[in-house]
Amino acid sequence: MRSAPTVVCLGLLLLLGYAGSARGQTVLHRGFVEGSVVLFPQQAPNDPTRGITDLLVRDEVFVAPTAWLRFAAGADLRANSHDQVADEWDLDFSDRGNRRSRLAVRRLTATVRRGPVTIDVGKQLVRWGKTDLVSPTDRFAPRDFLNVVDSEFLAITAVRGSVQLGNHTLEAVWTPRFTPSRTPFLEQRWAVLPPEAAGASIVETPPSLPAGSQSGVRWGHIADRLEYSLSFYDGFNHLPDMAVDVRAGAPASAQIEIERIFPANRTFGLDFAMPARWLAVKGEAVYVTSSSPSTDEYVLYVVQVERQRGEWLFVGGYVGEAVTRRHEVLTFAPDRGMSHAAVGRTSFNIDANRTLSFEGAVRETGDGAYVKAEYSHARGQHWRTTFAGVGIMGKSADFFGQYHRNSHVRVTARYSF
Amino acid sequence: MNSLVAMWRRPVSAAGLTATSVILALATPYAADNARRIIEEVQRRTDTMSQQYEGLLQVVDAKGRVADKRWTFERLGSHGRSRSVLRFTSPAEVKGVALLIVDHADRASDQWMWTPAVERDRRIALQDRSTRFFGTDFSFEDLEERDVDQFDYTLIGEDAIDGAPCWKVGATPREAKSSQYTRSVLWIRKDNYAIARTENYVKTAITRRLDYSNLQNVQGIWTARQIDVVDLTRGSRTRLTLDKLQYNATLEDDDFTVQALRRQ
Repeated sequence: MRSAPTVVCLGLLLLLGYAGSARGQTVLHRGFVEGSVVLFPQQAPNDPTRGITDLLVRDEVFVAPTAWLRFAAGADLRANSHDQVADEWDLDFSDRGNRRSRLAVRRLTATVRRGPVTIDVGKQLVRWGKTDLVSPTDRFAPRDFLNVVDSEFLAITAVRGSVQLGNHTLEAVWTPRFTPSRTPFLEQRWAVLPPEAAGASIVETPPSLPAGSQSGVRWGHIADRLEYSLSFYDGFNHLPDMAVDVRAGAPASAQIEIERIFPANRTFGLDFAMPARWLAVKGEAVYVTSSSPSTDEYVLYVVQVERQRGEWLFVGGYVGEAVTRRHEVLTFAPDRGMSHAAVGRTSFNIDANRTLSFEGAVRETGDGAYVKAEYSHARGQHWRTTFAGVGIMGKSADFFGQYHRNSHVRVTARYSF
Repeated sequence: MNSLVAMWRRPVSAAGLTATSVILALATPYAADNARRIIEEVQRRTDTMSQQYEGLLQVVDAKGRVADKRWTFERLGSHGRSRSVLRFTSPAEVKGVALLIVDHADRASDQWMWTPAVERDRRIALQDRSTRFFGTDFSFEDLEERDVDQFDYTLIGEDAIDGAPCWKVGATPREAKSSQYTRSVLWIRKDNYAIARTENYVKTAITRRLDYSNLQNVQGIWTARQIDVVDLTRGSRTRLTLDKLQYNATLEDDDFTVQALRRQ
């Protein structure tokens, strides 16, 4: 749905406008204007651009006219210097385009609550899982991977019902419309093409997005010293397999057609958090099966420990994978790309306004690694400036290593309101 | 937050209180028995079904710079069996951040934080509680509601705060409490059993001091409307002012769950 129905636009505008006029009701209004500059020291073979500027304006409002009914609405306005934002000014509801939308509905949700039952209907973010660095059970959470190491979650159109009875929670999600993750453009640096493709004409054919719905259930239990959930998902992988068709011809005139295919998935997940006196242990595991004969089946898992010491936070873990059915298929799978790697994050609150953090992942074979350092400084009640440096290294065959030309620095300034 | 507003209490029936007192009188030293009775009376006098207020936090760092933060607070139930939800309303970048605190009579509380930027709840680990809460001088543990059964008490002596005579009571956390503090010292006013000051120690060094002032009788409960906490290791301080304070309002149990945290 490229152009949103009039009713959606009107609803969004009414809710956004309502924030300034509502009295005597529970209203939360928030948003920000964020500008960022990304600089790449190295040139990529398929992308000579070394500087990208980006602008994002986000405005969200939450209105609760009664205790049992709530509405949420939010919109994004974007601009980008590297053609990552669509030119059209249509209000986009579905967020399924290759490019980010100039003007998009970030969320539009009605929430009805009756006793322990809560039902959310509309465009929303649905997050599952408990781990931080990689979250294999987070199946309803497609992401924008135009920058692979700095991705943002995309909202989905869904009906979400949950029941909380004591320490037990049962949640069911049904989404009628598939939302894929946004993948890097072939002509940009985060799509790394093999050297053999040099000189060939590469064409990406429009993806055939699955038409079916997706659904999932998750049961969670909070015990004294353990919190865990079991989940089941039946739908499609929001990360694509790549069907590659090489048309005959001389190497310099060969044509390669690439099509993104989103295979059917059925997954079984487990996640847990176990806080203890000295360490908190968190983990997730998912078994991914598929009715598609050409895609992998595998178990992806992560175990991490956390330790807070004063203003320091240490998180360290391991991401593993066991492939139960392998096919020679080209995939874009950052989650699996993190497997067989040690991952970690350390952050330090210098004071109330300043934070320093380090994050990294190292392949167990040593074939690839990335590290990110970030310094963030809030000024006054509204401004925050963030300086980040990302270093990526390794062999071209490694998921991290293939991006070894994409080390970069980023400066971001945000005004929150 | 009840520990901050002098709610050190436990709901016990009159018969239960009498029986406990008799046993304690036989089994414990006189000073400790008296100290525990004082704390029990503090809790009894501040026993409520619920509490809600809007808090203004003014954080002053070591260089004298002031940052304001605001939150709304709701608590359902009492002391060791209460549930509280705290939601930031200001500054803009933390608007919507929420904390659920589930207190237990026999052990440290369970806490979850909701961060709207990533739309996820996160369990706060036990050892996280010594961390400053969002740049304020309150630690996560300071946000817990303390219960009389989580500590052993000693009557240290008597003192005066702002001219008001007080009992000075030492409180040492029991093993299950899992506290960052080695011990605390409380000043409790003799005239109304309100807590006037708390000093928290790590080993022998005092780390945080909380002063309770602007004492008002709200719906029959003596409550400090202003709490000043000083982090003596950093030299920073935070003032919490309670507005729109109300006790015993009707609150729903379903609003105090992890699921409810995401209802912004």
